[in-house]
Amino acid sequence: MKDVAKEGKLKNGTKVTLRPMVKEDADALVNFFKSLPDELLLFVRHNVRDESIVRSWAANLDYQRVFPLLALVENKIVADVTLHRVPFGWKRHLGKVRIVVSPEYQKLGLATLMLNEIVDLASEFGLEKLWAEVPLDSRGAISAFKNAGFSCKAVIEDLIKDKEGRNADILIMICDVSAHYDR
Amino acid sequence: MKIAIISDIHSNLEALHAVLRKIEKEKVEAVVNLGDIVGYNASPDECITEIRRCATISVSGNHDAAVYDLASRESFNVFANMAIRWTQSKLSEQNAEYLKNLPFFTILWDRFIACHGTLKSNDSYIVKPFQARRMFNAMRRDYKSIRICFFGHTHRQAVWVRDVRGKVQQLNPHETTLILDPEKMYLINPGSVGQPRQNDWRASFIIFEPDETKITFHLVPYDLYKAQQKILKSGLPSFLAERLAEGV
Repeated sequence: MKDVAKEGKLKNGTKVTLRPMVKEDADALVNFFKSLPDELLLFVRHNVRDESIVRSWAANLDYQRVFPLLALVENKIVADVTLHRVPFGWKRHLGKVRIVVSPEYQKLGLATLMLNEIVDLASEFGLEKLWAEVPLDSRGAISAFKNAGFSCKAVIEDLIKDKEGRNADILIMICDVSAHYDR
Repeated sequence: MKIAIISDIHSNLEALHAVLRKIEKEKVEAVVNLGDIVGYNASPDECITEIRRCATISVSGNHDAAVYDLASRESFNVFANMAIRWTQSKLSEQNAEYLKNLPFFTILWDRFIACHGTLKSNDSYIVKPFQARRMFNAMRRDYKSIRICFFGHTHRQAVWVRDVRGKVQQLNPHETTLILDPEKMYLINPGSVGQPRQNDWRASFIIFEPDETKITFHLVPYDLYKAQQKILKSGLPSFLAERLAEGV
């Protein structure tokens, strides 16, 4: 699967490799999450500082359920985007997208690059719409999702809590994957 | 006269053989291939050889073009990109050259158009009414006497029709026979031989009888397991094997 890779270029000229995560990425992914500041981990659903959690993801990869796409610079993981799918039921045509980008690689177009790749892959997977939840004050993230074809659909006030326990608003963004065919 | 129209074989030799066996029984006089012989699956060179043997006319698909046009594959996603790089390494010189010389689109017997995507691009889709309308307009402008266009690329059977008042709509073609109205214009997609994406794993093609203006859609079972095993043994991503069974 490491051969399934694509090269991309960031705004500052840095070359990145995009490829699906494989089980051999466990150590690199543990290091990636260790390198992230606490405030960024607030948006991650699991305690990724717990190595055993990250290692179990790598050991139990199931692309049909969760498809993880990594961005690497010189073999170091700098961003991780995941596409979560539900195989049956009324949401079987939907995918949920989550993305984490290392702070030193933010504002360089990396999130846009990865999200565009995920939208393209969602079309290959037969999905019709993608769903993302973004804190309303995360301007950079909102911009990246918009660049990849997502649009703002709803704001739910006071839904989430920041690390001080204050409530914050969340933005629901949706991407119509069939727009992939608008060419 | 009977013509078989096939498209999007995508290196699936097992599906191609099953379709060709069915076509042989139909006693067709011509086989028209709408492009994308290669990409995704594990038998690119064998499929090109087979198409060179049996197809009367072929046009170039975006995956065929990506074998020699490195810039065009940049827009491919990671799976398609990897598969086309793998494909390139498997082709004989003659078969690679064959892909290079395929036309972008062609006019069949002065009466029908055959293309992969649209007249303007082999990577444009016709899946929405505005795209069908755009294609009908291009035909009316540039090919006034032609009322039928065969296209591929979407991997789904489709029939778009434009009536004399300009109303454009899509018909539902699954395993049906359709008599075409000579007053109307049609865009017809035979679906995909080697990677159908209509939630049905069977290989898809059509038989066209121009004298009766009759179209018959066919769905043919093939040795799916063998095609999947070839993908896995070749080192291509397992997702490409799994998707064949799902028809996505």
